[in-house]
Amino acid sequence: MTRTQRARRSQRGAAVGTLIGVLAFVSVVSIVLIQRPQTVAAARPGSIRGRVEIRRPAAAIERRPGVADLGTPTARDTPDLLRSVVYLESAPRGAFETSDGGHAVMDQRNETFVPHVLAISTGTTVDFPNSDKFYHNVFSLSKTRPFDLGRYAAGNSRPVRFDRAGIVRVFCDIHSHMNAYILVFSHPFFAMTDSEGRYRIENVPPGTYGVIAWNEGTPSETRPITVPDGGIAELDFTLR
Amino acid sequence: MIGRIARLSLWLLVCAARLATAQTLPSEPIALADGRVIVSGDVSAGYGSADPGFFNYTDYEHSALRLFRVDLTAAVKAGPHFTLLGEIRSENLDAVRPYALYLRIRPWTTRDFDIQVGRVPPTFGAFARRTYANDNPLIGYPLAYQYITTIRPDAVPASADELLAKRSTGWILHYTYGDQTFSPGVPLVSAFRWDTGVQAHATVGILSVTAAVTAGTVANPLFSDDNHGRQLVGRVEARPVAGLILGSSFARGPFVSTAAARAAVGDGHDSEFTQTAWGADAEYSRNHYLLRVETIVSQWRLPIAPPPPNLMALQMPLNALSASAEGRYKLRPDFYVAARYDYLGFSELAGTTGSLPWDAPVTRIEIGGGYSIQRNLLLKASIQHDDRDGGRLLRDARLAAVQLVFWF
Repeated sequence: MTRTQRARRSQRGAAVGTLIGVLAFVSVVSIVLIQRPQTVAAARPGSIRGRVEIRRPAAAIERRPGVADLGTPTARDTPDLLRSVVYLESAPRGAFETSDGGHAVMDQRNETFVPHVLAISTGTTVDFPNSDKFYHNVFSLSKTRPFDLGRYAAGNSRPVRFDRAGIVRVFCDIHSHMNAYILVFSHPFFAMTDSEGRYRIENVPPGTYGVIAWNEGTPSETRPITVPDGGIAELDFTLR
Repeated sequence: MIGRIARLSLWLLVCAARLATAQTLPSEPIALADGRVIVSGDVSAGYGSADPGFFNYTDYEHSALRLFRVDLTAAVKAGPHFTLLGEIRSENLDAVRPYALYLRIRPWTTRDFDIQVGRVPPTFGAFARRTYANDNPLIGYPLAYQYITTIRPDAVPASADELLAKRSTGWILHYTYGDQTFSPGVPLVSAFRWDTGVQAHATVGILSVTAAVTAGTVANPLFSDDNHGRQLVGRVEARPVAGLILGSSFARGPFVSTAAARAAVGDGHDSEFTQTAWGADAEYSRNHYLLRVETIVSQWRLPIAPPPPNLMALQMPLNALSASAEGRYKLRPDFYVAARYDYLGFSELAGTTGSLPWDAPVTRIEIGGGYSIQRNLLLKASIQHDDRDGGRLLRDARLAAVQLVFWF
């Protein structure tokens, strides 16, 4: 092989190497772009808002017939079963890095958990104060976060920290009709509906997402929505 | 029958485990007619060691350790003042029987005062109102509410010697006077039948007061009276601080049936042959533990018939004392351990061969635990040591049992 031939082969090898490098870069970028929702790095966040309509509200759990009771049990409050939670099925990249670590409160008042539904992000500590004159015993057997706070009197509160995402059903061991839900998310893109069923999920990076509305253990089908750059996307749900 | 119960229990266990895995078991009472009708249920299936000493029998056929029980309860609300409550029960797939059926009247909706008429819940004591398997941390029952003594309301012995000869055979016996068939005696307080009558209940501050007039007595609740006498029963309960309940109960009523009294001593004495009972109980709970103690004294006055030659006449009263202490501690959200100590003693009775307690005293220690497969699906297991001081039957026993409990 002559010197010229060796030089040409060397130039061809360098070109092939460059081509492989470019292809590898394009592949990596493509994979990243495919895996991420269609977001633009410097884009302004938008929001998703809408309304959740509950056609047939779930019935509150009734007190068991106190056949062995010596008298009428004390009156209790009825939980608000119309509140729903709306959330992104999968969160944008980077959403998992934030962990709120704040506090939320689920009170026990007139034999009812208030609020009946709590939506929190992982790392949040929920305080369970007892505002009744008698004992409650808050517990959950959920796989997400099993706990049992034992019996404690009025004026006391006990905390539980939730570090895993999932749905936690909360009960009272003494009053079987008392129940509540805690929805724990690993991202911040969720919202509770207000008394009229309206919700608003803020600071959502532009892109296309799947959105789910949830009410009393019943999730809706995943609905696709595209959040525009710095804009608002509207999405209504009807459940049951 | 026992084989059938064992197979049924196993089948229920397998089904329950599969359903629990799928989280499909109903866990809430059923509400009908816009919540005016509420129906709930309790199912328990237990299987335990053979009990030849009859320590856990609730009558001749049923052992508390081998019991398949189905309860269905319902409340029908008819406005703010009236609620009709009822319960039907089947034990070991026998016939379905009405266990409770009464009308609850609340004359003033703003006051904690109720009148209950019909087959009403027990006024006396603490345990009688929590006999449902999910309220009982163990599988056995406290002796005072379950152990069958040698006293029968429909038959009476002719002498002290006849009564002493029956010690420990309360599960099936007969006496000279009254009903001649073999039947079981009665516990100090029956947990398995409710009495019929009128009950009033009021709560003022930390105090709750209940009084009732019923057809039977605490040992022998009745649907219809058999001795033209009414029992008066009362209970006072105080809740001075959260978690602490202090209770005291009293009951007195004619116990022996007219037929048995007539056979023993002739007519006109029905109201003299009474059962009088006093009870005291306390419950304290905090954090993950729960403690309960209860003591009951029962006094019976039976007809004293002229004894046969060379035998001693009965001497009244016949007293019995029970003491029970139980504790439960939750180790995990789905797992607890529990233990109960029980003692049942009897007063001395003089027979021709000397003085003895009129029935054989019994001591029981039961230790066990419960695992919640699901919130309303509980698997319990316990071991029990029973010891009887005297009598004709087996004097001690070590028993084990498992029980699956489901409620909605």
